[in-house]
Amino acid sequence: MPFPQRKQTSNSKFGNKRNTKFAHKKRKIYQSRRGCIFCKDSGKMPNYKDPKLLRAFITERGKIIPKRITGTCAKHQRLLAHEIKRARTIALLPYVGTLDYM
Amino acid sequence: MRRYETIIIINPDTSADDRGVILEKITTLITKHTGFLVSTDEWGDKNLAYQIKKKTRGYYILFDYCGAGELVTALERAFKFDERVLKYMTVLLGKDIDLDSIKEEISKKEAEAAELEKETSDDSKTEEIIAKAPKSEHDNKE
Repeated sequence: MPFPQRKQTSNSKFGNKRNTKFAHKKRKIYQSRRGCIFCKDSGKMPNYKDPKLLRAFITERGKIIPKRITGTCAKHQRLLAHEIKRARTIALLPYVGTLDYM
Repeated sequence: MRRYETIIIINPDTSADDRGVILEKITTLITKHTGFLVSTDEWGDKNLAYQIKKKTRGYYILFDYCGAGELVTALERAFKFDERVLKYMTVLLGKDIDLDSIKEEISKKEAEAAELEKETSDDSKTEEIIAKAPKSEHDNKE
């Protein structure tokens, strides 16, 4: 006798529900912005001496957030990554953040 | 001539006199190598993002100067041998720089700062007058 096939509990419906829930949570964390904030404000440029601004572009663990999430343009993301790395070498930003860094 | 910016972290336990000694050393080295010190900026005591030589705090000093590559190596050598300096970093700001244009910029900035001070002092005066005026009216009514 063949093994009774498991009833599929409307996988697509359930899965979708879950995914949307997850996506909602993720969006809430990073608050994806549309457009590059450095392009909008011409006077603003990423600088390692301003760690307060750079904090917005790293995760709480200290990793650089990709531009697809922050919305920064390619040119400014390049500069931004460089400046974050500079800030790390002079102890203004952490290489590895702790959970209680905020 | 190139323009550089160096930021150093000093042990927070060093006294103000010792910090003065370090700054003097920097200025003498810069003049010795025919450089030009544009500005110094003391950020003061700050929390470090991670421990350096078991210290969680550090005294930041930033200075902006012009000079050749030898000057940078000399400065960094001095910081390396100085135990009070926890960490240092040099950033290149620009290549082929005119000293005269920088000096002009500095004089312009100073003039602007002087004007601002004047304006603020004028504002405080007018504020005083405004503050005085209603009081006198009030006195008259009484």
